[in-house]
Amino acid sequence: MLTKDEKERYDRQIIMRGFGEEGQEKLKQAKVVIAGGGGLGSPSAIYLAAAGVGTIRIIDHDRVELSNLNRQILHWDKDIGRNKVDSAAEKLRQLNQGVKIEARDETINEDNVSKLVAGFDVIVDAMDNLPARYLLNKAAIENRIPFIHGAVYGLEGRVMTIIPGKTACLRCVYRGLIPQEKFPVVGVTPAVIGCLQATEAIKYLVGIGTLLTNRLLVYEGLSMKFTELTVNRDPNCEHCGHLAGKK
Amino acid sequence: METVEVNGSTVGGCLDNLTKQFPDIKKMLFSKNGRLLNYVGIYVNGEDAYPGGLAKPVKDGDELHLLYIISGG
Repeated sequence: MLTKDEKERYDRQIIMRGFGEEGQEKLKQAKVVIAGGGGLGSPSAIYLAAAGVGTIRIIDHDRVELSNLNRQILHWDKDIGRNKVDSAAEKLRQLNQGVKIEARDETINEDNVSKLVAGFDVIVDAMDNLPARYLLNKAAIENRIPFIHGAVYGLEGRVMTIIPGKTACLRCVYRGLIPQEKFPVVGVTPAVIGCLQATEAIKYLVGIGTLLTNRLLVYEGLSMKFTELTVNRDPNCEHCGHLAGKK
Repeated sequence: METVEVNGSTVGGCLDNLTKQFPDIKKMLFSKNGRLLNYVGIYVNGEDAYPGGLAKPVKDGDELHLLYIISGG
């Protein structure tokens, strides 16, 4: 049940056709885990908190560094040296006191990933490396939790939504590892991609629109072009192939 | 993203033609033993070429999109 203040706070999205108080209530009851509190995690967390998602868990093991500040907008000069999750939680709680923010200062690994995401409604991929993304993808499939992939490089980004057992997963699309390197990124790129991820999360939770499933959205900021590529479920996928034909 | 014209009857043939035109690209797409690097995705007319990959037939006017995995966040 929405309070009087909530009805006023979220009025502009409540009046959107297809959204309504029912949609807002769904957001209020929802739990989203954002894996990563950096470039992608910052904008997605900000907009999911602003939209009124009831519980947001942010997972990151890093501390804020000066070189983060061109893009990780939840972290400021005063936060250098601080745990990212604590820095993020402080800002998000000030942004929206009605949202429960859970800060988890942890490294995602094979042993804890399932426990970190279990019970949540959506996982937002805000990682900065592929091995961790594959761990999350696998955990999302095991726990049957929708997973919203995002990635950036320079002025380029990618987004795709994964519904376990129903649509192509990350492993269906990406079949290897890439050499680890320091990646270039302008802050506006994760801003765009993080917001697209938050959009997908909101759509899924409210139950509106068409999700970016079996589609990889490629954003190229240099030419200001969006390209949509169709991706297929791989029946032999080592992560989700065993779910082929099952509901 | 840049667009170039290539010739070939398969995806593999097109990539061979591409690397003949631009030899420096070969090491960005293929390993030393000639296999397509597994972080390169290929899309034909906007659709994933997997399975089939290099053997997938193409016809005049088709568009090939080569996509590297990116993983920043």
